[in-house]
Amino acid sequence: MAILGGMAATIQLTVPGTLRYRSVAVRVVAEAARLVSGSVQRDPNDLLDNDVRDPFDLAVVSAFMEIFNNVAIHAYQRKDGGLIDIVITAAERELVIEIKDHGEAFDLGGVAPLPTELDESSLPEGGMGIHIAKTMLDEVTYEPGPPNLWRLRKRLPAKHVASGRS
Amino acid sequence: MATPFEVTNNGTETKLLVRGSLDINTAPALAAEIDKIIGGKPTKVVCDLSGLDLIDSSGVAALVKLYKGVRSTGAEITIVNARDQPLAIFKLLRMDKVFNL
Repeated sequence: MAILGGMAATIQLTVPGTLRYRSVAVRVVAEAARLVSGSVQRDPNDLLDNDVRDPFDLAVVSAFMEIFNNVAIHAYQRKDGGLIDIVITAAERELVIEIKDHGEAFDLGGVAPLPTELDESSLPEGGMGIHIAKTMLDEVTYEPGPPNLWRLRKRLPAKHVASGRS
Repeated sequence: MATPFEVTNNGTETKLLVRGSLDINTAPALAAEIDKIIGGKPTKVVCDLSGLDLIDSSGVAALVKLYKGVRSTGAEITIVNARDQPLAIFKLLRMDKVFNL
């Protein structure tokens, strides 16, 4: 059972658009995912624990990490000076994350699909991030700007059982 | 930040233990270590992911580099003990079959 009690919570966070601040944003997103999923960390007192065992949490966190990487690398081209505005709406049964940047627009249509048949010779060494985000979530949209806007949505499955709760 | 990996060699087997988060910030250091491992011409490499909590596509790319690099020398490589989020990512990318996870 989720722990929001019917109320939606909005969490806003602005971080510099570099990879240095990625882990800060990821931890906030992970905690927001736990609000919806109702999952519990292995050790709630360990703030450095990267515990995302719950299927809902790991889908949200995995997708968010890829989109944050994309913004820092493609929009801001690994340079300092830009900001990433993140608005997380945690509702009873879904999480929506809006990620806004003022950098270069990304060509989402230019992302090549992964090979359909995978073997040792065709193992990809890149181009997996957008595929991970799209596959993990119910919805991934991108509106080129300025500002550029990613919108990520993950719904809690009806039969979800939160990990870590007895 | 603790080093996210540790390499040991017992003479017959090179073991790479990866822990914490293998991501766009930590993968470059691992990639450099992978170059050293492959350059050492190992006969057998075991990559133990039991301590790995999180991985992103950059981390996956580093492990693919390890896998391909070791296999290209004719050596044996096994990737073991993937769990939780990393295992979910390998399954999503259908790499679990290739890696025999």
